[in-house]
Amino acid sequence: MIPTQTYAAIAERLGRSEIVVLDGAIGTEILRRNVTWADHQLTSRPAFVRGIHEDYIRAGADVISTNSFQLCRRALFNHFRDEAHRRHIGAPDLDTRADLLLAASVKLAVEARTLVGAARPVAVAAAVTTLEWCFRPDLAPSGEQARQEYREVFQVVADSGADLVLLETVNSIGEARVALEVATELGLPCWISFVPDEHGRLFTGETMQQAAQELEPRGVGAILLNCAPPNDITAGMKELAPHAHVPTGAYAHIGRFDPPEWLFTDEYPPPAYQSAAAEWKQMGGRILGGCCGTTPEHIAALAALR
Amino acid sequence: MYAPIRDRIRAGKPVLLDGALGTELVRRGVRWRKHGLLTDTAAVQQLHAEYIAAGADVIRTNTFQLNPRVYLNVFRNREHMRHIGAPGLEDLVPRLLRTAVELARKARAKAGREKDVAIAGVLSPLEHCFRPDLAPAEDIARREHEELARVFADAGVDFLLLESMNTIREARAALAAGRISGLRVWVSFVLGPEGELLSREPLDTAVAEVKRGGAEAVLVNCAPPPDVTRAIRRLAGSSLPIGGFAQSGRFSPPSWKFDFFPQFIEADAWSPERYAAEAKLWRTSGAAILGGCCGTTPAHIAALRAALADGGKGAPA
Repeated sequence: MIPTQTYAAIAERLGRSEIVVLDGAIGTEILRRNVTWADHQLTSRPAFVRGIHEDYIRAGADVISTNSFQLCRRALFNHFRDEAHRRHIGAPDLDTRADLLLAASVKLAVEARTLVGAARPVAVAAAVTTLEWCFRPDLAPSGEQARQEYREVFQVVADSGADLVLLETVNSIGEARVALEVATELGLPCWISFVPDEHGRLFTGETMQQAAQELEPRGVGAILLNCAPPNDITAGMKELAPHAHVPTGAYAHIGRFDPPEWLFTDEYPPPAYQSAAAEWKQMGGRILGGCCGTTPEHIAALAALR
Repeated sequence: MYAPIRDRIRAGKPVLLDGALGTELVRRGVRWRKHGLLTDTAAVQQLHAEYIAAGADVIRTNTFQLNPRVYLNVFRNREHMRHIGAPGLEDLVPRLLRTAVELARKARAKAGREKDVAIAGVLSPLEHCFRPDLAPAEDIARREHEELARVFADAGVDFLLLESMNTIREARAALAAGRISGLRVWVSFVLGPEGELLSREPLDTAVAEVKRGGAEAVLVNCAPPPDVTRAIRRLAGSSLPIGGFAQSGRFSPPSWKFDFFPQFIEADAWSPERYAAEAKLWRTSGAAILGGCCGTTPAHIAALRAALADGGKGAPA
């Protein structure tokens, strides 16, 4: 596929060094609105999910991301010993469920865009996460296996009308590289976002400089940082910005992870979050958004940084 | 409070376990987080009460797949958990276990059944119950199970039920942990589609191992009713009391990956009457202990009590 006009418009704005506003959290926003997140709610409450996308567009997001965190076949299959066991006691639709939900997640974001009908271009980013748990690089599948699984996921989101893939909460350069190669083969624009630790490094100990060196020649559209507290994102930006030749960006989480849900705190109300993001902007970050715990009000505050 | 249960088994009377907690709480609309033990204690206690009223001789704590690993596994490591996790996560599990025991005890006390209903503290595999490949090494499992078993012992359970164990190795470790904590232990294994343990280890080896380890009874669970029937027939004549509890319906895991989310679909595939009729086959094959696993409800336990029709003490008025 060739990049969509919408993606081209966003890329052009980044080329002019303008700020592009990414949306905020979907998963925790579902919880904050008092709905369980066990099944992404894509088919059970589509209007509800679409409504959150609409709120983010109205708040000023130029890129909205799909409600598909950690959504892939592997996530469902991991609950069984193997295929024989899954077929024996598992729900009959498990082979196809992840693909259908992924397609539904893109469709809802595209519908939200149409419904709001904003005057500015709004891109739909298919949010794709590490195949295994986002904070556990030790669990990552081998390169060939990962390649095959990313190919399946990316094909579904490309066919469903996503403008780009936002590969987020990535914990190793190796998995990022494999995913990026697959996206490039499919002609799907790909932004990659890493989780930084307190020292601004990847969870594998790899550096942001290494990440930029590996991904830029392979056609990454932007490199971002996410899923860490604002201070860690700042530490990551210090490491990333001086070495990146592609646009960079950041979206931090606020509050605390309280598995299987989220603990909302008042540490970063929209003005405080805006100040943190202004710092990332000053360091060179051009794509600014919010991760877990952020709300449409936080995104409205970021839109003022344009 | 174990003697009445032991006496029933010795007298050749059936011992009735309760049915599912997790799937039933979810079916009733409880938002599944921390097993409902922080947010929905009334619903948990109510369900225990309904199982007692349905005729259960043994009620189980709402602690399946509840151990520190469940929370630790979703972080990079312990330090990361402290860094971005909610306050108190590190010592949350013992607190939840104590709450779970307390709710079972309250339900029993309110029913005035302290003398004949036993509370089984439920221990289960430290990793996902359907993933024997993830089971920790025996010494590690022993240490971690011992921490949990001690909490159960202090909180006053009547015995331990090791539920859905998927390897002989971890069952042996948890059994030793329970015994050293001064508790009697029943061991229940999850069946694989081949009819052996989920790890494909033979059922008869498992029985021999847990007998050697000092188990009071051996059971099978977490498989469709006909699988339990087949396994009970194979276990008949064991030197330990045997039992089983089956699932009704199909496991429908969440699309968001957490270790355990008790959601079953098509649970009405086994109506209480049909389930009870199948379970009666276990009894005729020599099962001393019968109950329900995922997807079953108080109605299933009531139907089972009626089908066994032995005039058991647990029969509701």
